[in-house]
Amino acid sequence: MPLSTQSQADEEQYVFMASLDNARNLSNILKAITFKDHAIFSATPNGLKVTVEDSKCLQANAFIQADIFQEFTIREDLVGFQVNLTVLLDCLNIFGGSTVPGVSTALRMCYKGYGYPLTLFLEEGGVVTVCKINTQEPEEPIDFEFCSSNVTNKVILQSESLKEPFSELDMTSEVLQITMSPSQPYFRLSTFGNSGNAHYDYSKDSDMVELFKCTKTQTNRYKMSLLKPSTKALALSCKVSVRTDSRGFLSLQYLVRNDDGQICFVEYYCCPDEEVE
Amino acid sequence: MVCPDENMLWVQHPALTAGQRRYLCSIANVYSTEHMRRQMKQHYLNVLHTCVQAESHLQKEIWGSSTCFLFSPLFFQHYSLGSASEQGNETIKCKLVMKSVLPLFRCLTSIERSVECCQISLSASSDRVIIQFFCRHGITKTHNLRFQESEALQAVFASHLCPNVVKAPARLLGDMVMHFPASQEEITLSMTPLRVSLRNYYEGGNVTDHMRMMYTEMSLHPDEFDYFQVGMESDITFCLKELRGFLSFAESHCLPVSVHFGAAGKPVCFSMEDMVLEATVVLATLIDSENSGPSQPIGTPVSTTPRCADAAALTVVSHGADSTKPQDTPAVTELIASSQGSPTINPPALIQLLPQTDNPDGLGAPEEACASAITTPASTMICSLLFRALASEQDDDGCAARLPVLACYSDTEEDMEGDYTRSPSL
Repeated sequence: MPLSTQSQADEEQYVFMASLDNARNLSNILKAITFKDHAIFSATPNGLKVTVEDSKCLQANAFIQADIFQEFTIREDLVGFQVNLTVLLDCLNIFGGSTVPGVSTALRMCYKGYGYPLTLFLEEGGVVTVCKINTQEPEEPIDFEFCSSNVTNKVILQSESLKEPFSELDMTSEVLQITMSPSQPYFRLSTFGNSGNAHYDYSKDSDMVELFKCTKTQTNRYKMSLLKPSTKALALSCKVSVRTDSRGFLSLQYLVRNDDGQICFVEYYCCPDEEVE
Repeated sequence: MVCPDENMLWVQHPALTAGQRRYLCSIANVYSTEHMRRQMKQHYLNVLHTCVQAESHLQKEIWGSSTCFLFSPLFFQHYSLGSASEQGNETIKCKLVMKSVLPLFRCLTSIERSVECCQISLSASSDRVIIQFFCRHGITKTHNLRFQESEALQAVFASHLCPNVVKAPARLLGDMVMHFPASQEEITLSMTPLRVSLRNYYEGGNVTDHMRMMYTEMSLHPDEFDYFQVGMESDITFCLKELRGFLSFAESHCLPVSVHFGAAGKPVCFSMEDMVLEATVVLATLIDSENSGPSQPIGTPVSTTPRCADAAALTVVSHGADSTKPQDTPAVTELIASSQGSPTINPPALIQLLPQTDNPDGLGAPEEACASAITTPASTMICSLLFRALASEQDDDGCAARLPVLACYSDTEEDMEGDYTRSPSL
């Protein structure tokens, strides 16, 4: 394919280079976290992490492991830059996102280092497009200090069971309240809207619940506007893990399978709303 | 500089400076009854302006259609009135905002797929209606919706008095309306002994507008109907949009639909029933503009303006639990203007929009007293609004034969007590 005719000299300039036979394996995941324009890219030998933040209260991360890529070269321990995510997605879909089987857009993503743009080589059906996207100084992603040892409650559900409630959540409610408890109602999502309130209860014995580990009853409220974007990630995923820690911080982890059946992860961290029980 | 009182000539004293004169005048204004009167008048005008704005938002009592679905207890797997019947109240009446109920039942396919049972209960203590969906996989969805107490309103319609009746499977009527675009607001149903036809209706507009429209008309032979009775030839025009939902419901239940109607201006009723439910939609029809006026309940002081085509109305009565048969033709209770495409409402008709819902008899005879007070449209509107505000506080005299006074010409309290017969001092 044309991309492989690049000279060896070019490749040595790049501090980070990754290629995919199917660009959709990257663009689909990125769509799940596109609620803000700017994203922080962090590449390590393990893979690529893309971070989007909102109001210092919400953070979404998409992880694409190195072995998902057909080629993954990195010359430093950590390569970081910030780009406009909307522009990046437009470029990845520059051939129009055709759904004809067997036809896919090939991608090579290259970065020379600090101050250089992110270069994308996209090819479909013999046509090559080169995109250069300006990069910015990467901001430091917030560390929510969410660690497994601090987790009080954890539930793993099949995404199927959450997709509907999330899509029909009462948007006139400012908050989404999540109750997790070792006793009734076990796992409950609540909204408080103009016409009244609504509760979605999941029994711990439900066959949609794969894991239920709740140590104490916790009720936390999160701003609806912050959590609503996670619906996109939910729609792509097949499983979701919901965890809260002792401070009431929420971690949502989504298991996403891409077109080739490989597994990627998307996670959302959210601060609780100020009035916490 | 205007002196508030011609007796205040002393302000003109030459020894006073302009500033001193202004100061003295402003002090004098505070104590001037004339000024006070002006201020009160302005204040009341502002209050009225706010009321009129608020009333136009409410428009609770103006309907062009009335739909009623009656589900018998047999429709449900389980039906009980619980503690309410023990208290002696056999009927619970409440109303919910449609916007909060519709989304719960919107996605029928997912409901069919996942919902095993739906339970609707009423908690009077917390003024909530609780709708619970018990779904597969141990999932329960609970919606607590606020309700408001309400009198049950139902359109009074004497279907046995209607000269024209047709009955057909819902499918036939659905096929007829299918030919009209979804945006079509109103259609005209015509009936003669030889055929029934439907055509679209466009109101107003100039010649060029009419030339741009696409006109559709379809006719059916009387044999196509299960039942066909023509008492009088008539053309009625009503709102199609409000009928579509009803027809698709009837189609999904494979129920025949009956249509009762009469002359233009009188309401048309679509109804269906089976063992466990009955449903009716009563729609107002446009008055034929060639006629002199609506053939509505007696006593209505309706003006015969050229635009009286707007003011078709439904007679609505609030009724208790046991009122199943239509009442005798009321003198006037509530007249409701057609909600569709009515640019203006006749000012006199507004008087009749006073709701009688708190009147236990449901009927009143307000028209004589109110009609006599009509002067200009603006004052009519104002009088009726004020009347309503006061009536709710007084004992239910119905519409009192006297008009409220906004502000009296009085400086002393004694004068204000007795004299209520002066016209509003605006």
